[in-house]
Amino acid sequence: MTPPELRALVSDSLALWGVAAAVSVAKDGVALLAPDGTPLRVRPAGVEERPVRWWLERPGQRRPCTSVLGLLRGLRNAVGAGEAANARRLRVAIPGA
Amino acid sequence: MIPVLVVTGFLGAGKTTLLRRLLRDPEWADTAVVVNEFGEVALDHALVAASDDTLVSLSTGCLCCAARGDLAETLLDLRRRRDAGEVPRYARVVVETSGLADPAPILHALATDAAVAETHRLLSVVALVDAARGAAALDRHPEARRQAMLADRFVLTKTDLAPGAEAALAARLGALNPAAPVLAAAHGAVPPKWLLTPGTHGEAGPEALAAWLDAVGGHAAEHSPGLAAVAIEREAPLAAAALALWMQGLAEHAGERLLRLKGVVRLVEAPDRVLAVHAIGHVAHPPQWLEGWPSGDRRSRLVVIGQNIPRHFPARLLAAVEAEVAEEAGRAASPGSGQPAFGR
Repeated sequence: MTPPELRALVSDSLALWGVAAAVSVAKDGVALLAPDGTPLRVRPAGVEERPVRWWLERPGQRRPCTSVLGLLRGLRNAVGAGEAANARRLRVAIPGA
Repeated sequence: MIPVLVVTGFLGAGKTTLLRRLLRDPEWADTAVVVNEFGEVALDHALVAASDDTLVSLSTGCLCCAARGDLAETLLDLRRRRDAGEVPRYARVVVETSGLADPAPILHALATDAAVAETHRLLSVVALVDAARGAAALDRHPEARRQAMLADRFVLTKTDLAPGAEAALAARLGALNPAAPVLAAAHGAVPPKWLLTPGTHGEAGPEALAAWLDAVGGHAAEHSPGLAAVAIEREAPLAAAALALWMQGLAEHAGERLLRLKGVVRLVEAPDRVLAVHAIGHVAHPPQWLEGWPSGDRRSRLVVIGQNIPRHFPARLLAAVEAEVAEEAGRAASPGSGQPAFGR
């Protein structure tokens, strides 16, 4: 994923969560400002850091994410749009179960 | 006069399942089917088991809006081809509306287009209502309420998935439309004869129907804001894990904005077969292997119907998930190596 592609995915995600925040391509990743003013940064992890794929950073904190879905979940919490009570995990309908 | 049965119901109510079951019944063998879908890529027609000659897909627009004239033209063209012996001599037409259609303009077209009204008569309007999600749809979407108000009869579907929900939902529907009887049916099991009985709209005749529709505002459809269908088409097969993770991510992040997801997919793990997937909201139904590709088009096609979902989000999420799954597959095949997830 290129930095512009990551920026587009993060921007779409923020729109989906109803969060107004501008996302910019930064050195080695993307940067944004959470609604509470916290600066956030998303960086790709190096291959040697596997299974970590992404780092979600805020001042004084660096959270590892092993997948893009984990990254989006972490980012959603970081911008204050955590799903909590509105969680919609995929369910499977099994007739008769 | 050719009777026309209009089958309506909100997204995922089970219209296609009902049709597939009906068309297997010998009593319904001589039936032409017109399927309208929301969005530019039609899939439902591919899943309805009917003769190619008498199955018409109208994907040029919402049947109650842009494609209203297309319906009249389609019915007349089918009839012309029937009379000319170009298609089997069908005895009735079933119009399956899209899940987001307001049936009123469709009925209006049937009642007021002179050429159609001369040769076709409305049999009835059947509205399918999902026992598990129907109440929420009635709460949130004007289309679902209009479908309920204009029905001659209701079929409650998926009652096996929502035991105990029938009574409250039937009462709700009764409040919207007291004259319409309610039948509970799981897996599209509706007695064919019940559907062949004329409804009050059909019995009233086109003039009375047109007058009634005028009274209820039947010219213009009312739609929920921000509704859109997004299609993803792919030549290359998809990894099963990527498909599953993508569906999970969509359900998680789109939440209630995700109304419907459906697709026919070729998987990396079984590239010669075709898998049908579909989900109603965040509830995925077990995927099904189809006997073959429903058409000559061998591409994987996924359609996401939602409300205020950023147009490119589904495709971007899929690309991101696929890249990670491909990297994992590469690492598993060559331990010690790997490709970075982030291109530099």
